[in-house]
Amino acid sequence: MEITLRHIDKRFGKVHANADISVTFSEGKIYGVLGENGAGKSTLMKILAGFQPADQGEIVVDGKPREARLHFGPTESIRSGIGMLQQDPLDIASFTVIEDFVYGSGARLTMGLREARKALKIQCQRFGFDLDQESPVSHLTIGQRQQLEIVRLLALGVRVLILDEPTTGISAEQKETLFSTLGLLAHQEGMTILLVSHKLEDVVALCDRVVVLRAGQVVGEREMPATTSELVKMMFAEELPPQSRQAVTLGKKRVALEDVALRGRRVSLEGLHLSLSSGEVVGLAGLDGSGQDLVLRAAAGVIRTARGRVTVDGRDMTGKSYRQFRQAGVAFAAAGRLEEGLIAGLTLTEHVALGMPGALVKWRAAEADTSERLQRFNVRGRPESQVQQLSGGNQQRFLMAIMPANLALLAVEQPTRGLDVDSARWVWTQILARRASGTAVLFSSPDLDEIIQYSDRVIVFFAGRFIELADLSGVSIDDLGHLIGGQFEQANHA
Amino acid sequence: MRSHRLISATFIVLPVVVAVLFTSLLVMLVGNEPGEVFQTVWMGAFRNSNALAAVVNFWRPLVMVSMGLVITFTAGLWNIGVEGQMMMGAVFASWAARSLALPHPIQISAEIAAAALGGALWAGLAGVLKTRLGVNEIFGGVGLNALANLLAIYLISGPWQPPEGGSAHSTTPFPANSLLQPASTEFPVSMVALGLAFASIIGVTLALRGTRWGLQLKATGKSSASARLMGVPTTRSVISAMMVCGMLAGLAGSYRVLFTYESLRPLVSGGIGFLGLLVVLLAGIRALWTPFIAFAFAAIMAGSTRLRVSLQLDASLAGVLQGALVLLVLLSNGLRGRVVEWSDRRAAKQAASVSETASPGARHE
Amino acid sequence: MTRKVSLAVVIVTVMVALTLVPVFAQDEFVFGMVFVGPENDRGWSQAQYEGGQYIEQNLPGSRMVFFPSLNTADNPETTLMDVAQNMVDEGAKVIFTTSDAFEEDTDAVAEAVPDVVFINTSGDNVLTGEAPANVGNVMGQMEWGKLIAGCAAGLTTETGKIGYLGPLINGETRRFAASAYLGARYCYGLKGGNPDDLQFTVTWIGFWFNIPGVTLDPTEEVNTLYDTGADVVLSGIDTAQAIEIAGQRVANGERVWAIPYDFVGSCDIAPDACLGVPFFHWGPAYLAVAQAVQDGSWSPSWDWVSPDWADINSDQSIVGFLQGAGLSDENKAALNGVIADLAGYATNPFVPDSFALWAGPLNLQDGTELAAAGQLVDPLDVWYLPQLLQGMVGASE
Repeated sequence: MEITLRHIDKRFGKVHANADISVTFSEGKIYGVLGENGAGKSTLMKILAGFQPADQGEIVVDGKPREARLHFGPTESIRSGIGMLQQDPLDIASFTVIEDFVYGSGARLTMGLREARKALKIQCQRFGFDLDQESPVSHLTIGQRQQLEIVRLLALGVRVLILDEPTTGISAEQKETLFSTLGLLAHQEGMTILLVSHKLEDVVALCDRVVVLRAGQVVGEREMPATTSELVKMMFAEELPPQSRQAVTLGKKRVALEDVALRGRRVSLEGLHLSLSSGEVVGLAGLDGSGQDLVLRAAAGVIRTARGRVTVDGRDMTGKSYRQFRQAGVAFAAAGRLEEGLIAGLTLTEHVALGMPGALVKWRAAEADTSERLQRFNVRGRPESQVQQLSGGNQQRFLMAIMPANLALLAVEQPTRGLDVDSARWVWTQILARRASGTAVLFSSPDLDEIIQYSDRVIVFFAGRFIELADLSGVSIDDLGHLIGGQFEQANHA
Repeated sequence: MRSHRLISATFIVLPVVVAVLFTSLLVMLVGNEPGEVFQTVWMGAFRNSNALAAVVNFWRPLVMVSMGLVITFTAGLWNIGVEGQMMMGAVFASWAARSLALPHPIQISAEIAAAALGGALWAGLAGVLKTRLGVNEIFGGVGLNALANLLAIYLISGPWQPPEGGSAHSTTPFPANSLLQPASTEFPVSMVALGLAFASIIGVTLALRGTRWGLQLKATGKSSASARLMGVPTTRSVISAMMVCGMLAGLAGSYRVLFTYESLRPLVSGGIGFLGLLVVLLAGIRALWTPFIAFAFAAIMAGSTRLRVSLQLDASLAGVLQGALVLLVLLSNGLRGRVVEWSDRRAAKQAASVSETASPGARHE
Repeated sequence: MTRKVSLAVVIVTVMVALTLVPVFAQDEFVFGMVFVGPENDRGWSQAQYEGGQYIEQNLPGSRMVFFPSLNTADNPETTLMDVAQNMVDEGAKVIFTTSDAFEEDTDAVAEAVPDVVFINTSGDNVLTGEAPANVGNVMGQMEWGKLIAGCAAGLTTETGKIGYLGPLINGETRRFAASAYLGARYCYGLKGGNPDDLQFTVTWIGFWFNIPGVTLDPTEEVNTLYDTGADVVLSGIDTAQAIEIAGQRVANGERVWAIPYDFVGSCDIAPDACLGVPFFHWGPAYLAVAQAVQDGSWSPSWDWVSPDWADINSDQSIVGFLQGAGLSDENKAALNGVIADLAGYATNPFVPDSFALWAGPLNLQDGTELAAAGQLVDPLDVWYLPQLLQGMVGASE
């Protein structure tokens, strides 16, 4: 199905998110849609998928034009054959897989449950998806939830599939499965695939053509193949130098987990020993929900250990509350910034004021402090803005800006989730600066590049088992990809 | 910005006008003159100082409960149990009024303290149920309301019944020394209680605006998980919000027994707590608007007594006016959001035709 | 701020305007009535309301102002004081507070408004001397009505089980339930049954009408009485659940009956299930008060008014019993005989004041003797009856 966007225009208040965009996506091809954070690519995709109305412009589907202002409502889009896979899949956590599948394919509510099971099974077999039909959606990994969304959209008869950052948080195997699925859908079945991604390697590996957006406008289009540096140049109009890591001498032991056992909803783990020294960065790798999130949260005191001891700067903190951990110099930044971390509905000043001492709030001082921090941490926003009005990158920057100084441990879950290359580099600059001042850093990431690039040591998790890689020299991304898929034995041999 | 203020003002006035028109239509349908009806309500509420006193005497518990609810709403809690907290305040105050015999000022202080304690304990119980046992405050509140009622009725028809035999209507009237004294026969309102009401209005407003505690409540209300990670003691926030609200509700309840009825009666809270929920929702959880809206409610309700007496019109007409008002205000809040968005878009379009550069600010993706 | 100021300006303006306007027409006689329930409750409050209408019809130039449902739950914003003041401002010269719920408040309000007469229905504060000089009490001798109602039940019951749906427990409700019991016993005996076999169960719901969550649900309680074998239920509450349910059950083919209370029209709800209704006809008594207040001859008194024995259902009788379609012809004849006997008893100048069947031997529920054999119970002992009678099932307090 061929889609043409003509003169799409969209504003949010003063921000011109899409400025007169015209572009064509023809069938049988995989398109990469690139651009830094705030370039307008998510907005454009949401308009196409009917999650947002455009202010002006036309969407031409198979030669039939319609006003983009009226092209609104996901059901409407799906009826015209366009489906979008959101960054956070829109499934319903309390449903089982099969319920979600049946409910989500609302067009055929009449479909019997038995029929639906068969359809789901056939689709899963075709693509090699691994989905237990009876398992609750909340127990699935991100990769599995994606797979469920894809088969659901296909069952709805979608001919244009939009994917927003699909390779975040999935294993090498799942990624391989996904890519082969997308290739099959585009090149054999003639579907149009649009891939929004910051991971230029993925774009290079998968796409037939790229469209680059900057500041709400299309600034370039080209056929693949191209190298990542060529793509970076198109996105930023300049090449970014590789980020250098200064060697830091390790200092005293700051945080230690001794023979710790943790119980999670999906996995549990036993016998973990982990100690972090001043200036050390330890990366936690693994598929979503393999146990790394538990370790990260236990080290930060957000969840309690079932057994074992946690110490911070030599003090026994076992069983203490997160508040006490915080007072002991531990900070935690979760992946869901607006669910755990920042408070939607509060202004930036109010966030800063929350961290200030004293029974009375000194609003003037808080506002001055906020302005100063916004400037220092390069956050684009005003003190009186509410935090959810910031873009993802600015939210992450702001989260960093309000973290207390001189931490013993900084525990960060997916520090660059949803950020473009530029923003991601900036966040790491901040983290590394804290490291240089003596903070131990513990982070998890679904992005194996990030793990290898920034960690001194890595712990790989799979279904509650874990293995430590103390020496990263000679460990490739591919090796790591197999490890997070559970092939620990190979690693031991390697 | 100017246009925003204009839109806001329009959307505050509009629902009031529509509600009045709607009620007028209803009045005409049942064959009365709307002008006369509104005038009667007005006279009912403000014809003389006695009438005004009746309004104030209803406003006083309503505003105290409402200010308490502003706190719990800010902390993201639906304190349905506020009725029971009023009842417990009334019960505790009644206990003090019946059992103690101290010099008048000390006696009254003891009763007020007892009422605050009763309400706070009952609310704290709901808070503990929520934070420790995961019982939603709505369900906990409903249960505790029923329990408080049963306790009051047991006391009225049992241990505290009048010596001539229980009629389940009320306890023996409290001794004069235990009662709040009216300022004068022309304006029978307790100044002590009125002072407490104003103190609660000012106190709650300042606490929410200027204290860390208030900010922590807001943070907890917006996102409990995030607030916890930002170092806010969320459990303490929830329980303290409940207890402060309960305290104010208890004080409100005590006024009903120490002044209005001079005895403990069944259902002495009379749904004022629930009315408070409406008031606060109507005020958009804004502390400063709440007393005014509570006053309007009190005036309409007390004024409609007159409606009944002199026009023999069903007093539930006042209820209709209130219901219409609440619905329309909520409706117009939703509508206002859309209109603001629409006007923003238009303004942006106009601005865009002048210059192409968008100023930096909140960015959307 | 501007809102406050403009509000103040308006208040002041209205107050000034009011002082300039002459409010009342000269030749009008305004009286107020305050009800504890709705004026159309087909029970106590409606009977009161019709009493007020009776004054309007029979006293030229009179006008009623009334306030219904004055209780903490329905009208939390209003007190008796507020209502009375509104009525006085409306010109009322006499105000009837028609429930024992208003007894205490009536005294307090009367003290604050000394130039208006207050009549508290069913109270006894004039008798006990607690009331101020501008308060009077009126009550009808419903004991007779309940004796007759009990009799109708005793004549009709086939299972020998009678239920009594009581409101809350106090002297008044105890003596009405007991009167019904004595009537039922007597007439069950007339039909050849052994009065000691008669089961008479009293269920108190806790208030005059249903308040969800606070009282027992009368609908449920009536059903329970029928389900446990009673075939006649007498109502002592202000609302009409008993007759409604009996009607439904009769429609389903059951042989059950009910006797509603208070309001003359209650049988219309389900005529075939209705044995009759003991009712109040407050009009004549209230009219007498209104006339006395108008011509200035009123003085405080505690009036416990007996029925007009010439014809208890006449326009002059405060208490009556209207027979229902559910009562068989045979039982109607028997009941008329009993009524005639009661009339003869009550009008006999040689019999001391008493309620006929309230004669010894009678014991209270705990076994204390109320009256020895051959002794009559003094009417004031009936008024202050401390317990139910021995033989009745149900709580005394």
